[in-house]
Amino acid sequence: MNTGDNLNELDDASFRATVRDWIEKNYPPEIRNPPKRLHFAENKSWYMALSKKGWLAPGWPREHGGMGLSATKQLIMIEEFERHGCARLNDHGMTMLGPLLIRYGTDAQKARFLPKILSGDHIWCQGYSEPGAGSDLAGLSTEAVLDGEHWVVNGQKAWTTMASDANWMFMLVRTDKTVKKQEGISFLLVPMDVPGVTVRPILNLERHDDFCEAFFDNVRVPRENLVGVVNQGWTMAKTLLGFERIFLGSPRQAAYALSRLEVLAEHMGLADDAVFRDRHAQFALDLADHNALFASFVARLKRGQELGADVSLLKISQSELFRRIADYMLEIAGENAGLLEPIEGNRDLNPAGLFLQARPSTIYGGSSEIQRNIIAKNVLDLPG
Amino acid sequence: MRIESGQTAADAERMETIRMLRDSAIAFLGADLGRVRRLRFQDTGFDRATWREMCGLGWLGVRIPEAQGGLGFGMQEYVALATELGAALVPEPLILVGLSARCLPDDELLNVLSGERIILPAWQEVANALADAPAHTTFDGRKLIGEKRFVMNARGVDAYLVTTSSGLALVEATTQGVSLSTEKTQDGGHFGTLRFDGAVAKAIPVAPFDEAVADATLASAAYLFGLSERAFRLTIDYLKIRRQFGKPIGAFQALQHRAVDLYLELALTRASVESAATTIDAKASIAQQQAAVSRAKARASRCGALVCREAIQMHGAIGYTDEADIGLFLRKAMTLINHFGSERAHRARYVALMKVA
Repeated sequence: MNTGDNLNELDDASFRATVRDWIEKNYPPEIRNPPKRLHFAENKSWYMALSKKGWLAPGWPREHGGMGLSATKQLIMIEEFERHGCARLNDHGMTMLGPLLIRYGTDAQKARFLPKILSGDHIWCQGYSEPGAGSDLAGLSTEAVLDGEHWVVNGQKAWTTMASDANWMFMLVRTDKTVKKQEGISFLLVPMDVPGVTVRPILNLERHDDFCEAFFDNVRVPRENLVGVVNQGWTMAKTLLGFERIFLGSPRQAAYALSRLEVLAEHMGLADDAVFRDRHAQFALDLADHNALFASFVARLKRGQELGADVSLLKISQSELFRRIADYMLEIAGENAGLLEPIEGNRDLNPAGLFLQARPSTIYGGSSEIQRNIIAKNVLDLPG
Repeated sequence: MRIESGQTAADAERMETIRMLRDSAIAFLGADLGRVRRLRFQDTGFDRATWREMCGLGWLGVRIPEAQGGLGFGMQEYVALATELGAALVPEPLILVGLSARCLPDDELLNVLSGERIILPAWQEVANALADAPAHTTFDGRKLIGEKRFVMNARGVDAYLVTTSSGLALVEATTQGVSLSTEKTQDGGHFGTLRFDGAVAKAIPVAPFDEAVADATLASAAYLFGLSERAFRLTIDYLKIRRQFGKPIGAFQALQHRAVDLYLELALTRASVESAATTIDAKASIAQQQAAVSRAKARASRCGALVCREAIQMHGAIGYTDEADIGLFLRKAMTLINHFGSERAHRARYVALMKVA
């Protein structure tokens, strides 16, 4: 892929202009600013446009078909996608599995799976949470038992985002019940279109079917689909979470909510109300300071420093600010707070929808409470 | 010095300068709060010998160009120093006199930078006013008439730099027509009320007063940040050693989560203060600079109040004694959170400035 070669050499401003220009020319207009997360059938044209351009995996090394971009340039790409209102893709293969395989996979696994992610042949979902293992993820009980040349998988995964679109799942499974819970977990690649796998969509509070539950009944998986070392899956999965948290800490949701709050205040005739002005000013200051905090983490990445456990701060700060702004929208919306659809059919005036969208942000990717536990123990070194 | 990828040599050099300034401040100030405690509620509230030593280190002239006898540093360096001043609860009025120094002509400046002469700024006339509010004190080129309030450390200085409706005026403390009354403050210092009844003063020509106020306000935010961060560290240490119910109280999740909330507030404050310093160093428009400073001071005031309140609560009964050091931090925060403008005043100014910036 030749495009990536010169992109890294561009200065940030020219890089941004190049990305912006290409998005404007190539993004499918009919799926701009979608009101909900799109299924693969709906966002496939965008997926394939990026695939063809070689821009699906900005963070992967070029030898594996990625763009090999610096952290700063990756963030610029995200900002430009957000700015244009690009739909989120079924991106688990690019953001989660790919980096893990590149680091821990065998050459055979890399050769078999990475190109299929980039071609759109394999759509991945993440099988981590279970009905009995949410915040206490290491307590998961879906098990894989070796039988000859196959792992036999039995159990249930829950809250698996976009599982109904996926034909593959990377999952954490229990392979040893006799040791400390973190030490008996393995990382397995499982096809979804085989006997014994059942997927059921779950309607969420927004009445969308983004996430699913998946059942595994004696599903036979070839032995070579295990990544890394048996019983070392937990450590591998954990290394990915820091990078996820900086993206969950990007200011985009809170910034979007604040702009919608302004539209709502205008609609409700509160824009010049002194009490509203003061609350709004506080949110604006909180967002500006969050941006400064986010920029300081990005600057650390830019200097080549490893991010520590304190990256959890970003996730807490962003998601809770998003939630507080959405809470306040409900407070000022009057009876509109109870509407199922946007006010007067205007997508920009949807306080109830935004309020519901803000609920899971402090739950997924490690709840606010779990993030606080992590900082208390790993950063503040408080006893446990 | 190691240059990381994506970082220029100039960035690396600057970080090294900041590190050295910080290290020398930490070495000079030490960890012991005994001196700070002894100076409380005494005469001037600070120590003139220490003052001269601090001036000898160049701390008063951090933002004064080298050609005028200062260190010629940027705001990022000043913020790093002010953070350490706050962490050590330094009672000497470096930020205030630093503000005056920025506005003084060369012939007045040298004795001030050397520490021989202390000239304190006096701008405030009513409670809860920002430093750039219009002054009603009058000056006809010779005589001052009016009143200044909340002049911190007013006793024991040599002269005052007074804002008036017609520019800045310099008046000696001992001049006839100057009278001073004081009120003790929680931190062991005092506020002075200065009355000028036709006192003879000297006009100070056009001075960068707004810029100097922006610097001093941000330095004051950094001082509050340093103070808050150390109060937080003391509290975390205490959570690890204080045992109840057979374990350290820091093992309880309710306290852990509250501690993390303080840590987040501190992280936001640091980011806010440092980004405001970068805005000043980048020579943004004065409206952008003032908006960034207001944002940082609003955040630092909120942070100082929050962290110190929680620090006392987490210390329990011992935190309510005058003997415990944590109280020194609370009392200093109480004195400083609204000085140079409250959270509320700066929030309002931020909104007003964002409309024009």
